[in-house]
Amino acid sequence: MKRYVVIWLGLLAIVALEVSLALLRVRTGVLLSGLLLLALIEAALGLLYFMHLRYERRIFVWSIVLAVVLTVLLMDHFWFDAFRLLRQRLTSP
Amino acid sequence: MVEPGVAAADAHAAGSEPSPFGVTSRKLAIWMFIVADAATFAALLFAYGYVRVANPDWTRPFAFWPSIANAIVMTVILLTSSLTMIGAVLAAQAGRSRDALRWLVATMGLGTLFAGLHLREWSSMIGAGWRLFRNPLGGTPLVGATFFGVTGLHLLHVVSGVAVIGVIALGYRRGRFDAGHLETTGLYWHFVDLVWMFVFPLIYLLNLR
Repeated sequence: MKRYVVIWLGLLAIVALEVSLALLRVRTGVLLSGLLLLALIEAALGLLYFMHLRYERRIFVWSIVLAVVLTVLLMDHFWFDAFRLLRQRLTSP
Repeated sequence: MVEPGVAAADAHAAGSEPSPFGVTSRKLAIWMFIVADAATFAALLFAYGYVRVANPDWTRPFAFWPSIANAIVMTVILLTSSLTMIGAVLAAQAGRSRDALRWLVATMGLGTLFAGLHLREWSSMIGAGWRLFRNPLGGTPLVGATFFGVTGLHLLHVVSGVAVIGVIALGYRRGRFDAGHLETTGLYWHFVDLVWMFVFPLIYLLNLR
C-alpha cells in the first residue's frame, strides 16, 4: 500500500503543478502544451501502477497502448480543418 | 504476471492454446472496454478542441473561485477514491474480506461525493444561464455544449461506477464474487479517474478567466 500512497501523493503534486501553471497566465499554446504533458505523466503513472500495466506481459501492454495511440493519431487530421475555419472566418457586418 | 486463474483456465481447456496475454478473459474484456471507452472520450475531447480552435469568440466561463476551487476538490476526491479502491483489491487478495468491504464503501462514498459536487456545479451554472446551446456571456454557444457533453459523460461513468461497486461489494460479501472481480471493477474505476486527469486541465484549467 505504501507504494500506492507515494504514487497518489505524486499525482496530487502534478495537480498542484497544473493549477499553478494555469494561474501563471501564460499564452494558451504554452499552457495547453504544459497541461497535456502533465496529464500524460499522470495517465502513465495511473496506468502503470494503479491499473497494474507495469506487471502485465509486454505483448498485452503494447496491444492496448498501440490501439489507443493509433486511434488518437488518426483523430489528428481534424486540426487542419479547424484552423482553416479560423482563417476563413468572415468578420461580422 | 500470469494469474492463477489463467493457468486454471488453460488446464481446463485442455488441447486449446494458452492465453498469449497471460490474463483472464474477464480482465481482457474490461481492458477491451477501456480501450473503446478511451477512444470515445478522446473523440469528445478532440471535438472540444476542434470547436475551440475554430471559434475565436470562445468564452472562458470559470473563475478560480468557486469553479476551479470546486474542480480541484473534486480531483483530489477522485484520486483518493482510486487509492481506496486499491486498498479494497489488496485486502481482498490478502483474504481480509471485512477490510476489503470497508475500502469499497469508502470508494463509493468518495464517488458519491464527487458526483454531488459535480451536480452542485452544474446547478449553479444552469442557474447562471448556461445551457447546452446557450452562452449567457455572449460568446459561442458551443462552450455549454462541450462542457455539459464531456463532463456529463464522465459523470455518467462515475455514477455507473458507484452502482457497479455497490453490486460487486454485495456479491463479494455473499461469496459470489472474489478478489479477481474486485480487481476488474477497480480497473474500470481507475479508468474513470484517468479520464478526469484530462478533463480537469483541458475543460477547467484551460478555461480559467
